[in-house]
Amino acid sequence: MAERTNHNPAQAPADSQAPAHNPAKNPPPAQNHDQAPDRNHDHDQAQDQAQDPARVGVYICYCGGNISDHVDVEAVRARMAAQPGVAVARTNMFMCSDPGQELIMEDLRAGRINRVVVASCSPSLHEGTFRSAIARAGGNPYQYEHANIREQVSWVHHGQAATDKATRLISAAAGKAGLLDALSPLRVEALRRAVVIGGGVAGLRAALDMADSGIQVLLVERTAWLGGAVARLGRLAPVGEDASGLLRGLAGQVLAHPGVTVHARAVVSGFGGYLGNFSLTLSRTPDPDVNADVNADANANADAVADAAPLSKMPSKTPSKMPSKMPSKMPSKMTVGGFVRGLGVLAPTQPDAASQDQGPLTVRTGVIVLATGHRSYTPKRGEYGYAENPEVLTLPRLIQHLADTEAETGPLLVLNGRAIRRLAIIHCVGSRQIPGIHQEDESGCLNEHCSRVCCAASINAANQVRERHPQTSVYELYRDIRTYGRGQEEMYAKAAANRVVFLRYSADDAPEVRRCPAGQGFPLEVAVRDGLTLGQELRVPVDLVALATGMVPGPVAELVDMLKLPVGADRFLQEVHPKLRPVELPLPGVFLAGTCQAPMDIGEVCSAASAAAVKAVALLSKGHVELDPFVAEVDEQACTGCGACVAACLNKGALGLETLELDGAMVSRARVTPALCLGCGACVAVCPEYAIDINGWTLAQYEAMVDRIVCRLEGVA
Amino acid sequence: MGGQASVGAQRKILILATESCAYPGADSVGQAHASYPANTYILKVKAPVLFPERFYLDCFRKGIGGIIIMSCGEECPYKGAYKAMAQRLDRVYAQMKEQGLDIRRLRLTAICTVCNRAFLNEVNQMNQVLQELDAPVQAQA
Repeated sequence: MAERTNHNPAQAPADSQAPAHNPAKNPPPAQNHDQAPDRNHDHDQAQDQAQDPARVGVYICYCGGNISDHVDVEAVRARMAAQPGVAVARTNMFMCSDPGQELIMEDLRAGRINRVVVASCSPSLHEGTFRSAIARAGGNPYQYEHANIREQVSWVHHGQAATDKATRLISAAAGKAGLLDALSPLRVEALRRAVVIGGGVAGLRAALDMADSGIQVLLVERTAWLGGAVARLGRLAPVGEDASGLLRGLAGQVLAHPGVTVHARAVVSGFGGYLGNFSLTLSRTPDPDVNADVNADANANADAVADAAPLSKMPSKTPSKMPSKMPSKMPSKMTVGGFVRGLGVLAPTQPDAASQDQGPLTVRTGVIVLATGHRSYTPKRGEYGYAENPEVLTLPRLIQHLADTEAETGPLLVLNGRAIRRLAIIHCVGSRQIPGIHQEDESGCLNEHCSRVCCAASINAANQVRERHPQTSVYELYRDIRTYGRGQEEMYAKAAANRVVFLRYSADDAPEVRRCPAGQGFPLEVAVRDGLTLGQELRVPVDLVALATGMVPGPVAELVDMLKLPVGADRFLQEVHPKLRPVELPLPGVFLAGTCQAPMDIGEVCSAASAAAVKAVALLSKGHVELDPFVAEVDEQACTGCGACVAACLNKGALGLETLELDGAMVSRARVTPALCLGCGACVAVCPEYAIDINGWTLAQYEAMVDRIVCRLEGVA
Repeated sequence: MGGQASVGAQRKILILATESCAYPGADSVGQAHASYPANTYILKVKAPVLFPERFYLDCFRKGIGGIIIMSCGEECPYKGAYKAMAQRLDRVYAQMKEQGLDIRRLRLTAICTVCNRAFLNEVNQMNQVLQELDAPVQAQA
């Protein structure tokens, strides 16, 4: 951490008159509804204090130079100190640091200020930090406004223009802050239940962790099987644990846990509610013929030098080399908890009598964990010879074959009866794609991300081949090797010791896979310009090419649409913040676990899943949750009961008309149900009397901000 | 304060950016360090459907040169808000015409969390409009 500097530790209040607004003259009306949320008594004292005239404290962050390199922070501070209503203006190297927060807290405790503006990075990063600091100092955390002068000023503007814009944005924030009333969070009962969507390792881990903490968990899996992509793996990098053993153990614990209910062959088809009380509709598929699944998988494997679909179009000569059936130990009849490689652990499909009718099922839950996983990139036809040559397959297929034939040893790897003397593994297939070099998919997108696990998986597979079949040569064609985790570097070194041959290619000069000229004795050759031998052009005759395909986002478009989930440029689900809030989504109560978020290995998946579980448990542990109070509130004195707001309301039930006694007369007035109010403000715009507003986002506050943006400020453009 | 517009206020662009889409979209532009004109002032809103017709007209009267409503479009988390918003803007446009305001000063668009190019394009287009209109225009009070 860089040095933290308090530039004005003893600065006296710049203007203690601060007459801008007196909320005591316009106290917030009492909640006028039956379902008024519980008020948090911790805030009572803060509310009392907040009835004082507004004294705004402005705190401007250097952000270690991120802001101050482009904004003259001290000049802005001086300008703000001269602003009406601003009692204190201070700067700090890092406002989010403990000393930075302490500046605010000390001013609050000393009574110098009762409203706070922090000008720093985006509010998405530290709004919560500063609200929390205000609350700890006895202030009202909702009498706080944030000015974003990093992402929206110093990172996009420079020089005097940046300083002037920062001044106006902070001034606008101060204008709003002066009008902020003391609010209390809405307290709503929270169901101590969680729904986990996805039955892979991430979903299993999250479900188990939450259930162990006393949360009732419902795990929804669209297939009949638990395990996801891990079910297709064998020996795991870097030390060779058995994936099926890990999976069976984890799934077994989940299936045996009394706190977990598994709904397999179910998908989420409806969504509603809010943190603490979500409602999900589960649509169920018909009772599956599990044994048909098993047979189908066996047949798929039987086809398998590569993926079944491409091979179906191969010349008849090629399939004739393959056995009609893979040597597989498929059980004749599957039972719940049974494991099939490639599919996973069989899950129960009808956990309770209520779901026997197979119709949609509505479940209520306090939180949701998304563990929808990823899918493996499917190469395009002709990409490194894929789907045009039966000797080209994907790395996941090779890994599955190695797992299925783990007991087999011999001088040469044998795949479907064919001896493999030379194997080439090409890295970065479908990952780290570059505009102008690689071809976009059908939706016009490229996978520019690194899939992170393929290097280790490729080298792990190479080591297995070399150690089990020492006369099979392995060539790794790579762009960069990224063996980043514990034990992976050793595994990489072991590959060298195993005489795996590494050839390095560049993205703009990718290897070419083509049929080998007749008489060479190999079906394919891989041509590559090898960067390790000063760009020498090499042609490597091989029997088999494995494409290290990366991870791409899973098919979750419906969920994205339904839950309004943010999606990153890489099309994976996007967390609120990659470092500070890595498993949270903007939608409160919805968390991310595993490869639906980004490529991860199994250890990282479990870390993310456990983190999501802990977040969920922490939210639900009290039996209630506190929501921001940014909901509509009616001024009963101004309301005429015309009903325009009720007609405009976008969430049925959030607004209604009720008859009440007011000043001795029975009158009709609009009534808000806070727990249902979305806070969108559709009601605000249509009220002819301006009698309804959104707490914390009032029209008057916006008008004050606009006033500060257009007003004449000495020396400011 | 509001009646005392600063010199050059007519070139100021107010951006009403939704907190779930356009505001993080503006942050994304910042994270990409993609520069754009500094006459832009972004206000975070839960949903722009909150603003009545008079708010826009008041902004122009106060001296704001252009307003870009950066919404979530059809992806708005508040179902029905976008449609209500669009209908309201039709009425605002009618009132702007009545008051002699060029309706290009007010624009509704959809900006997602990673719509960097679209964001920059909207800002540049509005600046072009304001340059074209140039001379200060005051709506009737």
